[in-house]
Amino acid sequence: MALTELFEKDVMELERDGILFSSLGKLVAWGRSKSLWPATFGLACCAIEMMQSTNPRNDMARYGSEVFRASPRQADVMIVAGRLSKKMAPVMRRVYEQMPDPKWVISMGACASSGGMFNNYAIVQNVDSVVPVDVYVPGCPPRPESLLYAVLQLQKKVQGKAFDQQGVELPMVEGWHRP
Amino acid sequence: MSAQGEAPEGGPTERTPLVTEMVEALAPLGATPRDRLGQTHLTLPAASIREAVRSCRSAGFDQLSDVMGIDWLEFPRHQGPRFTVVYNLYAIGANERLMLRVEVDDGERVPSITPQWRAASFMERETYDLYGIEFEGHPDLRKLITPEDMEGHALRKDFPIGETPTLFNDGRFLDPASFRAGMLGRDPGLTGWKGGTRKGVRSDEEHRHHDASRAVPTDRGGEGSGS
Amino acid sequence: MSQGAPTRMRPEDRATVLREERHGDFETKHMRINVGPQHPATHGVLRLVVDLDGERIATLSPRIGYLHTGFEKTMEHRPYQQGVTYSNRMDYLHGFGHDLAYVLSVEKLMDARIPDRAQRIRVILTELNRIASHLMFFGTGILDMGALTPFFYCMRERERILDIFELVCGVRMNYGYFRVGGLGRDVPDEFDDAVRSFVRDFPAAMRQYRRLFEKNPIFVNRTRGVGVMSREVALDVGLTGPAARASGVNLDFRKAAPYSGYEQYDFEVPVFEEGDANARFMIRMLEMEQSLRIVQQALDALEPGPIRDPDRRISLPPREELETSMEAVIFHFKLVTEGFHPPIGEVYVPTESARGELGYYLVSDGGSMPYRIKVRVPSLINLQALEPTCIGGLFADMVVNIATLDPVLGDVDK
Repeated sequence: MALTELFEKDVMELERDGILFSSLGKLVAWGRSKSLWPATFGLACCAIEMMQSTNPRNDMARYGSEVFRASPRQADVMIVAGRLSKKMAPVMRRVYEQMPDPKWVISMGACASSGGMFNNYAIVQNVDSVVPVDVYVPGCPPRPESLLYAVLQLQKKVQGKAFDQQGVELPMVEGWHRP
Repeated sequence: MSAQGEAPEGGPTERTPLVTEMVEALAPLGATPRDRLGQTHLTLPAASIREAVRSCRSAGFDQLSDVMGIDWLEFPRHQGPRFTVVYNLYAIGANERLMLRVEVDDGERVPSITPQWRAASFMERETYDLYGIEFEGHPDLRKLITPEDMEGHALRKDFPIGETPTLFNDGRFLDPASFRAGMLGRDPGLTGWKGGTRKGVRSDEEHRHHDASRAVPTDRGGEGSGS
Repeated sequence: MSQGAPTRMRPEDRATVLREERHGDFETKHMRINVGPQHPATHGVLRLVVDLDGERIATLSPRIGYLHTGFEKTMEHRPYQQGVTYSNRMDYLHGFGHDLAYVLSVEKLMDARIPDRAQRIRVILTELNRIASHLMFFGTGILDMGALTPFFYCMRERERILDIFELVCGVRMNYGYFRVGGLGRDVPDEFDDAVRSFVRDFPAAMRQYRRLFEKNPIFVNRTRGVGVMSREVALDVGLTGPAARASGVNLDFRKAAPYSGYEQYDFEVPVFEEGDANARFMIRMLEMEQSLRIVQQALDALEPGPIRDPDRRISLPPREELETSMEAVIFHFKLVTEGFHPPIGEVYVPTESARGELGYYLVSDGGSMPYRIKVRVPSLINLQALEPTCIGGLFADMVVNIATLDPVLGDVDK
């Protein structure tokens, strides 16, 4: 970045001729964010809305999530769609560990984010206690448009362009340093 | 509430032919009928449930709808064993429904009908999982829907629902059970509201959850079935 | 999260070689493999432990409970009127079916009289939801067999139905629209046009689906003769719903024990004799046609009127009365703070959901919360039919059999 400030005029000339400047980190982040392939982890009602977000009306594929990979080894993002029961929690942890770095998690719906309307012995009250969550999506179930917005927010987070509520820029998430 | 040939709930019932036939046929096995809102329930001793189901099935009740348990621990003025297992039978041809009931205490076992009727397999396993009622002779009696490492039987009345208290923005930690206690009429809870005209249980009464045979006095006359 | 010890595979989950046999020069092994709970070919988190003899299934054991939510226990701690928020999240594909079964049980206990308009709107919404559920069945069932296109076509029609639901209830799924005593609010004026235009356009869509897969040789070869179940076996495992009717069990509770005004409508119940996967598929196509007929008739018979039982024990009094009558204020207060109290009793009302017999067995102790709710869910009992259909068949046929039995795991695990 400092380099382009020094050579501002030359950079503008070169860009007019079709040569773009970036850093490797930004390019890689751009590539990663524009092709986030989700792993199928639909649990309950939110899974139906997740399926609906791939239908022609709300098309998630145009944002890069071309296919939902069944095998976690080929997926980038895990969309936890639905209520996570305590019996399923170790299974989810194992699926998360099978995903290669960098990986992200979207917690879709009220039940995944906070236990939702099920405050009882059977449901994990926040998926964050099992896997680290990047984006929470409220709703019961969230509309497909909400899920698409969440995917776009995740893309911004991956690129390092995400801001929190106070307007402070959030650090870019690098997948391989996460626990 | 334990059916010992008491008056029908919800008014007199006209029994359908196949059900009437079964009421008579199962009487030698110790079956006592009671009608609840138009549905006939037959209470049987646990030992005769296999024979009863066999004769119902050969009489025409060819669909087993459900096998379920009921825990009477917190039911007001309940006398008798703690659990009831209800067998929900339906005759497709005759379009009639019959409920068989078996009353057992904690620790007693019920003969399983799975060897003769495969439909009961999951149903009895679920009843065992949620209530702890053991079915003798079930080929594979183990937990069905709760986690393997969870101990206890989830739907028993003394098993806690396991609510996480809610932390409000202003720093208060509120326990949802105390919110609702006033509505159940059990104790005043946080608000002091005593639950109003809840029938059956007085609101300022103490409850011992492990004491199944409470004789609960009440000063409301005419408390019984129906409203 | 801290980096803890990696989760280890449990011994019983490993693919195990069970038994080795020698047949002449061939040595065969039985393998035990684990299917699920996270698997694209299952309708949710269903786990099967399968013993395979080559490609043939020797034994099959469903392990469920990965979506256990404790609905019954939770509903015991909520007032009756709040039960409708829980009931539709069990079988989220036919949510109105569960809502209807629940409110019918409570209304039978309270001896409530539901006005005609409320009953007809309930029937219209439940049947539209049945069509939506069957559309999802077709989409995902054929997706499991590898065809991607019918999924998108079925979703297109499903979006139209969900638009109608959004018009009425405000949500596409997990409605809170039915109430004990009637409906939450009246339908808007656009409801009539929206449903009529859907009814007009849907037969063309169904013809399109038939063209897509009914005579497709791959579909026919994968479903005809697969997973045959006779009537005796279907009754022995307790199967109900379209899968049972495809095996010759002539049972539909909309005809046998009519509720909510179903006796007024003229519709047929298709019953097939073959009992194979193809029958289980095509019977739902015919059921969609019949549901459309019911919707048309109910819509034609819809007349203006009240939508709630005016009984003060159940429904709130109209707002104008609160200004004049002290009694109305007391009723309003009691209903809002603690809810209504059904009399002591037990009741069971069987209904027909898209998957089979659905009923809520309700035990009331006179309080404002149910004492015991047992949901007789069709999907849990229908899963018992997996063993007779899959054992002896190929592994790939197991996928088809699961799809045609149409379990919804929220329904199974409650």
